[in-house]
Amino acid sequence: MSTNTLTVVDREGQQHAVAWEPEQSLMEALRDNDLPVLASCGGTASCATCHVFLDGDIVTSLGERSEDEAELLVDAEGFSEDCSRLSCQVTFEDRLNGMTVTLAPEE
Amino acid sequence: MTEQSTDPIVIVGSGHAGVAVAAGLRTGGWDGRIVLIDSQHGMPYERPPLSKELLTPGAGEKTALLRKEDYYQARGIERITGHPVESIDPETREVVLADGSRLPYHRLVLATGSRARELPVPGADLDGVLALRTYQDGLAIQRALVPGAKVVVIGAGFIGMEVAAAAVKNGCSVTVLEFQDRVMKRVTSAPVSAFFEGLHRARGVHLEFGAAVTELQGDGRVERVLTSDGRHFEADVVVAGIGVLPNQELAEAAGVACQDGVLVDEFCRTNVPGIYAAGDVTRFTSPFSGASQRLESIQNANAQAEALVSDILGSQPRTPEVPWFWTVQHGVRLQTAGVMHPDDEVIVRGEPATGKFSVVYLREGRLASVDTVGGLTDFRPAKKLIPAGLLLDPSLVEDPAVKLEDAVTGEDPRSAILETAAALV
Repeated sequence: MSTNTLTVVDREGQQHAVAWEPEQSLMEALRDNDLPVLASCGGTASCATCHVFLDGDIVTSLGERSEDEAELLVDAEGFSEDCSRLSCQVTFEDRLNGMTVTLAPEE
Repeated sequence: MTEQSTDPIVIVGSGHAGVAVAAGLRTGGWDGRIVLIDSQHGMPYERPPLSKELLTPGAGEKTALLRKEDYYQARGIERITGHPVESIDPETREVVLADGSRLPYHRLVLATGSRARELPVPGADLDGVLALRTYQDGLAIQRALVPGAKVVVIGAGFIGMEVAAAAVKNGCSVTVLEFQDRVMKRVTSAPVSAFFEGLHRARGVHLEFGAAVTELQGDGRVERVLTSDGRHFEADVVVAGIGVLPNQELAEAAGVACQDGVLVDEFCRTNVPGIYAAGDVTRFTSPFSGASQRLESIQNANAQAEALVSDILGSQPRTPEVPWFWTVQHGVRLQTAGVMHPDDEVIVRGEPATGKFSVVYLREGRLASVDTVGGLTDFRPAKKLIPAGLLLDPSLVEDPAVKLEDAVTGEDPRSAILETAAALV
């Protein structure tokens, strides 16, 4: 597997090309590239500080959110049923190369 | 940007707080040197998986890193590993390393964390008596949790109960000895304790309350645990989870004020100019309750790291986040927002028998804390309502069909006063 490249849109609307390495969750890729995701819980779906918006088709293809993730997201600022995910719950896949990730508003 | 210096910002300790300070300084625009000192070897790692993922059957030896391996070098964060700091000289602004070399600092951050409290009884030093604090501790416990092993856990706090849950899952025979009369008494109320006791018993954990451990016995290796009521419990391995002590000795010796923790203000400044402290090692006044507290949590480590970075960089600090905690036992999550007090009014929302309920803690009618069990529905609203100091109607709180935010009866008079004051300025 090779490294993916993501386009990350930060909360000011700036775009960043971000390397996503295999074995990293999406949250880890964002955090390790200094994007402002607090990741308070270290990636265990216990907070919503790594909330991101992904393309609706991609969200559908990722399958169901866990119950914890769903409960955390539903009240999160800017929650979108179609586009919201906790980035700590998104695992590396080659097919996600080139996707755009938008950081959700901070609480 | 504040002044730069040729001397580095030196961070002692590479846990959650220390790494968050280093990363925060760099992303915040600090161009000077940053030196991160780790008394352990290897890469800085996440703590929660040590008592959770690492102990589950077939977990392997991998654990999550706080940052990927090449992060530190890529950001120009210098690391010194396997190397404890011997002392601090606040006069010359230097730290003295174990090899006698001196490292000058521009600012010093003490993120030395806490250590497991040792059992104060004879036999505590026998082989097979373990505690859980570091990755190496986690591996040692993982290796000890073999099927059929007789495991005695001393202390029914978060760590003890997480270890007990993992141990039964590994096929061990598990007994938990707790001096108090229920599990997790320090951090939660009777209904939550009762729920988790039932859960543990259903999975085969033996729980013994009022059990004061007086001695551990064995021939080189632990074989049994004795309690003050004359009972004894056979043991192949003993895991002690009886709380932690702040690693404050380095600070104390340097003249930094300590009182069961390094005393810090809201920017994590100590009483010694140029020296900060963050994370488990600190004691501070809660901006929410006014209580003096130590908090053993990632949330606190991250929040304090941010506060002190903002002080060093002269940037705007973030509004403090209400403290929060979580534990997972037998796959069931307990997640807490705020810090409860034994005198709080306790209101159960929902039916514990369903495995999904919350407990709300009111202090003078205001939301002080919420425990959520088996779900997170009330957690996020609670995190917002607690710092707002809002009054809740107990009869509405009691009804789980009413959203927590809809149980609010009025503004806190204090916030009305503050708003009036702000309008006058």
